[in-house]
Amino acid sequence: MKLLFVSRLERGVRAVRALTRYAEIGKRLGHEVAMFGEPRADFPSVPHSMDIEAFDFAVFVIYEAHDFPDLPHLAYLLDRMPKERRIVIDCTGTYNETITVEHDCNHFVQLNGHESWEWIEGFEAVASKILQPTLTPLREDVRSFLFFAYDPSTEARPYRSPQEAAAAWSGPNGASKPYGVIYVGHNWERWDQLRRFFEALEPARSRIGAIHLRGWAWDHRPDWAVEHGFQGVDVDLDFLKRAGVETGGPIAFDEVVALQGQARFCPIFHRPLFNQLGLVTNRTFETFCSDTLPLLMLPERVVESIHGHDALRLRPGDDVARRLEDMMRRPEFYWEAVLKTRAHLAAHHSYERRFEELMTILEN
Amino acid sequence: MNILFMMDRRANAGSIQAVASYVRAGDELGHTIAVYGQPDPKYLGIRWSTEFDSFDHVVFVCEFGIGWMSALRMSRILTQVPRKKRAVLDADGMYNPVVCVDMYDRNHADEHNRARWVAHCDAVADKIFQPTLEPLNAAVLPLPFYGYDPTLRLELGARPKSFDIVHLGHNWWRWREVSSRVLPAIERIRPKLDGVCFVGLWWDMVPAGAREQNLEMAFEFDMDRFRRLGIDVKPAVPFTEVVSAMSEGRVNIMTQRPLFRRLKLLTAKYFEIFCADTIPLVMLEPAHAESIYGPAGRELALHGNISDKLLDVIQNPLRYRQIVEAVRIHLVDCHSYHRRLQQLVDALRS
Repeated sequence: MKLLFVSRLERGVRAVRALTRYAEIGKRLGHEVAMFGEPRADFPSVPHSMDIEAFDFAVFVIYEAHDFPDLPHLAYLLDRMPKERRIVIDCTGTYNETITVEHDCNHFVQLNGHESWEWIEGFEAVASKILQPTLTPLREDVRSFLFFAYDPSTEARPYRSPQEAAAAWSGPNGASKPYGVIYVGHNWERWDQLRRFFEALEPARSRIGAIHLRGWAWDHRPDWAVEHGFQGVDVDLDFLKRAGVETGGPIAFDEVVALQGQARFCPIFHRPLFNQLGLVTNRTFETFCSDTLPLLMLPERVVESIHGHDALRLRPGDDVARRLEDMMRRPEFYWEAVLKTRAHLAAHHSYERRFEELMTILEN
Repeated sequence: MNILFMMDRRANAGSIQAVASYVRAGDELGHTIAVYGQPDPKYLGIRWSTEFDSFDHVVFVCEFGIGWMSALRMSRILTQVPRKKRAVLDADGMYNPVVCVDMYDRNHADEHNRARWVAHCDAVADKIFQPTLEPLNAAVLPLPFYGYDPTLRLELGARPKSFDIVHLGHNWWRWREVSSRVLPAIERIRPKLDGVCFVGLWWDMVPAGAREQNLEMAFEFDMDRFRRLGIDVKPAVPFTEVVSAMSEGRVNIMTQRPLFRRLKLLTAKYFEIFCADTIPLVMLEPAHAESIYGPAGRELALHGNISDKLLDVIQNPLRYRQIVEAVRIHLVDCHSYHRRLQQLVDALRS
């Protein structure tokens, strides 16, 4: 199968990790996968192509309107790839009526001018099939396709047993890593959850270790957000200082697994909207590749249905500090959950599996 | 003919007043004119539609920015409206070579930007119109587009006069002319004038993002100078209140950005100002003013000694009202929206 992915590829945001994996693993599986566009020096290993007619399908991976190519390239795509061979993967649930959760929303009209009807009619014009990375799409005309996946070949340390993992994790003096907690992700509709998380860590902070927050706009609130009263990029620098959280700018997608491995714990958060819609992201899976104990700050139904039953141990529950203290006391118990979850993800959510699912959808 | 306009939705800028007049003229002449989108109470008099099937042609009204022509929006049009039914009105003269006037106003920052803009329009349509009678680019079709709508006219005495002079328009590449010609003229006669008011955006602030786009020069202003001259600044008004706001001034000055003057681009303001209960003075070359407004228009061209002209108008309103009336008669004859709509229909059919 020859797949032409259409999206905006940047090194630190959106689906870049997944798209690069699709390109590499697709080739291994005998498919031809490329990104639509001219070759990019910053993505030397990712094939790019403008030869639309050489591909069987165009797969639009869409987070926001800018993920569609600009004119005239959009026109070329629509002219040269028939609609029945164009599909959209709607990563943020925009192909729904407007849904607001707290101040998160699937249509930020004040930012992009597009109301729900325009998203819906736009997607319907572009594609014959619309997929969403959730097990529970709301609309009948949407098919579930998780898109993001787990790649065991990128596990930083593929331990053979919980004992081995726990020993490495604890280190000779019980402090093998420079950080207690690292969260890598951008400041976009996550602040409220992070603030609650940091507050909850407070009783055990001295024993957990340094806390590092890495991504866009954790060190300032952008002017445009202030101007528009946009709460999705809220941050409280005084609070972060009081909580002992050091911040850093965004990192490239291929540095995330290693950086997360510098911490004993890495929380996984989804935006409130994503929690409500059951949408998964790259980080839903990728954090399990890092040499760290993932903390699944996700709804129980999402964890159980995606990560498997054993992963429930990695949900800290209401008393986060107490759970982390317990993890430090008996790391083997929790590393057993991590290794079982890794195995579950490898069996059920590998990129190979995703290719099979995608082929079924495309050929149906 | 049924015509759907697509445009950046802005109630206080651009071509929205003109489009409202097209809707009215269409209703009177048996054409259906609408704007793409869903109904919005802020836009009185506008008909909205998202049903491409109901229209014979789609006309994109493009100004400086084309961000509103997002791919999401365009994908639907590109797949549902055949190319031969689409046309672009290039209101700001962007579909041209890079034109820079006096190292100041320009249509594009550079060749890359120009190529991107032109490629965008070429992808949309074959027909590119510009509101000028003398396009630079042979591929562009001249179409005056903007016209005079007497239904907007405010009669004499309809509004009390709060100012001797009003300037209504946004501070977008206007500062050089305003600071070098208009303000010195006002300064010379300021003691003889009652209030002076500038209405519009960016006379007292630079918008967010101007620096990042290297557009700070387009928004230059000097509030201290305005204060010293006793000039009031009022915020922009929606298109439905433009004529009323102009009518607060005994005299209205129309300036035009240098690029538009160089390209001889018409704007809605050329005609809107004659709907107001005021005496319009237009900063145009007399010959150009005459070509639009008829022979009487020469008298309203503001050039040469601006101070003396302003005083003359304020001291002799009766004489100038007669001149303005003569221009209005010419505008009804030559530049009505009935005529404009017929020109648009013909251009789309051709």
